[in-house]
Amino acid sequence: MAPVLPLLLPLQPRIRLAQGLWLLSWLLVLAGGLILLCSGHLLVQLRHLGTFLAPSCQFPALPQAALVAGAVALGTGLVGVGASRASLNAALYPPWRGVLGPMLVAGTAGGGGLLVIALGLALALPGSLDEALEEGLGTALAHYKDTEVPGHCQAKRLVDELQLRYHCCGRHGYKDWFGVQWVSSRYLDPSDQDVVDRIQSNVEGLYLTDGVPFSCCNPHSPRPCLQNRLSDSYGHPLFDPRQPNQNLWAQGCHEVLLEHLQDLAGTLGSMLAVTFLLQALVLLGLRYLQTALEGLGGVIDGEGETQGYLFASGLKDMLKTAWLQGGVACRPAPEEAPPGEAPPKEDLSEA
Amino acid sequence: MALLKVKFDQKKRVKLAQGLWLMNWFSVLAGIIIFSLGLFLKIELRKRSDVMNNSESHFVPNSLIGMGVLSCVFNSLAGKICYDALDPAKYARWKPWLKPYLAICVLFNIVLFLVALCCFLLRGSLENTLGQGLKNGMKYYRDTDTPGRCFMKKTIDMLQIEFKCCGNNGFRDWFEIQWISNRYLDFSSKEVKDRIKSNVDGRYLVDGVPFSCCNPSSPRPCIQYQITNNSAHYSYDHQTEELNLWVRGCRAALLSYYSSLMNSMGVVTLLIWLFEVTITIGLRYLQTSLDRVSNPEEPESESEGWLLEKSVPETWKAFLESVKKLGKGNQVEAEGADAGQAPEAG
Repeated sequence: MAPVLPLLLPLQPRIRLAQGLWLLSWLLVLAGGLILLCSGHLLVQLRHLGTFLAPSCQFPALPQAALVAGAVALGTGLVGVGASRASLNAALYPPWRGVLGPMLVAGTAGGGGLLVIALGLALALPGSLDEALEEGLGTALAHYKDTEVPGHCQAKRLVDELQLRYHCCGRHGYKDWFGVQWVSSRYLDPSDQDVVDRIQSNVEGLYLTDGVPFSCCNPHSPRPCLQNRLSDSYGHPLFDPRQPNQNLWAQGCHEVLLEHLQDLAGTLGSMLAVTFLLQALVLLGLRYLQTALEGLGGVIDGEGETQGYLFASGLKDMLKTAWLQGGVACRPAPEEAPPGEAPPKEDLSEA
Repeated sequence: MALLKVKFDQKKRVKLAQGLWLMNWFSVLAGIIIFSLGLFLKIELRKRSDVMNNSESHFVPNSLIGMGVLSCVFNSLAGKICYDALDPAKYARWKPWLKPYLAICVLFNIVLFLVALCCFLLRGSLENTLGQGLKNGMKYYRDTDTPGRCFMKKTIDMLQIEFKCCGNNGFRDWFEIQWISNRYLDFSSKEVKDRIKSNVDGRYLVDGVPFSCCNPSSPRPCIQYQITNNSAHYSYDHQTEELNLWVRGCRAALLSYYSSLMNSMGVVTLLIWLFEVTITIGLRYLQTSLDRVSNPEEPESESEGWLLEKSVPETWKAFLESVKKLGKGNQVEAEGADAGQAPEAG
């Protein structure tokens, strides 16, 4: 029954361990707090950008998982702070003795598990963003004109505000607007010959123009914004071919949003990785400290040398003991009956 | 007849000193808050100095920054004094400085109150500079190739988009200035030539606005040109159309933004002022009660603390007399010197 990974811990190294653990625990608390802030920020961003992601997208699961994982890491850090401080003070340690064991199990299983899940999501989900954005943006652009259709009446405002805030135009470029009818039929003059021609020449009866909405305009352009007749090089006299891109925003909203969300997910993922490492270190340190102090019988200031270990015996022995203990717990009835019968027999024999 | 006398035994004095020590450190935090509020306001004013003619008054943020720094200094000093007040030996060092220090604290509180009032009262000057600055900004909107003004178009566009406003008082301000540069006008077109000829100053004026005036909440694509011509657009009536462009003028929008900023800063400063007044009163009680104790040689005895030794009118009279004595004191010394010299000569 050899202990797994034993470590000799006389008084001085024990104190060093406790102090180092205190520092690491505060770092873990900080990391947990940062994760809470970052995932909260990502959740708020997703609420604004929710219309541009396809409803089937699983991406919001990442900040939600990270939020819970961050909270658990924060809790683990606080436990570590309290336990390491208590281990240096003989009066404070006794209440921690009973609590530390279950807390370590909960921290490893719950906290570790959550962090691994969150890390996995952080690695896997950003890949699905591409398709989700493609679908979401396509739907939003198609419904731009539907300002009176219930359920889609906000699309125009949201797309305009997206293009204004993120400095982008269309899905991959301004030409995307040429393939979508973004002027509502309600504002098209049916008696205008040009309108009738355009609608008739289109297979689906859509009114397509080579123009873009005002929100594509780039304020950095030196000339007032050119929104119409963009594919006609003679449409606007005095158009300066040396500066073609300054008139409208050059980037497409797909690329901009993808980069933005992937950056946020990447930051969150790296913070989760750091927290995972810190949590593993803190839990290891707490386990060694706990077993070392158990060896002393809970007397903190004892000068004796003790051993800290990870597990009291190897994995197989541990499983065997756990199985036996579980078995004993499941067979109480036959065990209790004989002791119940024995004392009356003794009484009879005495009498 | 002291003002607001309170009896203090040793325990009460110790509690007062400890409480004051804690309050002083919170007050240092409050001083940092005032400092950062002033800094934030200064940065916000700087950001928009282009549309304020670069002549906006920085009095409010500068005074907030100054008061923040002073508050930190005074309150950390007061914290040190309160910490030492529990030890008679250390307190003896501070004793001669306490009365002038309290006078400075009272002065500081008065100035802090005045600064808080200024936060509420100085928006009038801002309105004027904004009006002037926006007018000039719109005039230079088209000068995108004039060095020194080439950024004005971008500034005004971003301003109108961010603050959801159009023009100085409304979108009609754009009808009165030429905001399209001559460089982009086709002078071979008859329409352009007609417009310029029909204008007295030879300017190209349109009933149109830049794209940044457009309101994204409008159900129809933005109508920027020929705004007052109902027949130019299908199913359009410019008198009843409210959602097409931003209705508010940028002067009102910016003014309301800065007013709300300064009002909230004024409220925070007033609350901190109340906190500082409480600290000064507590310090005064501590000083008077400790002074009464250090005369007899029993540090544990009871003593009384008060705000003023005599009632308010008597204190005011005594203050005036001491000021007069200061003036007379020089005279008396001069006479004494003359009298001294006269017997010597005589």
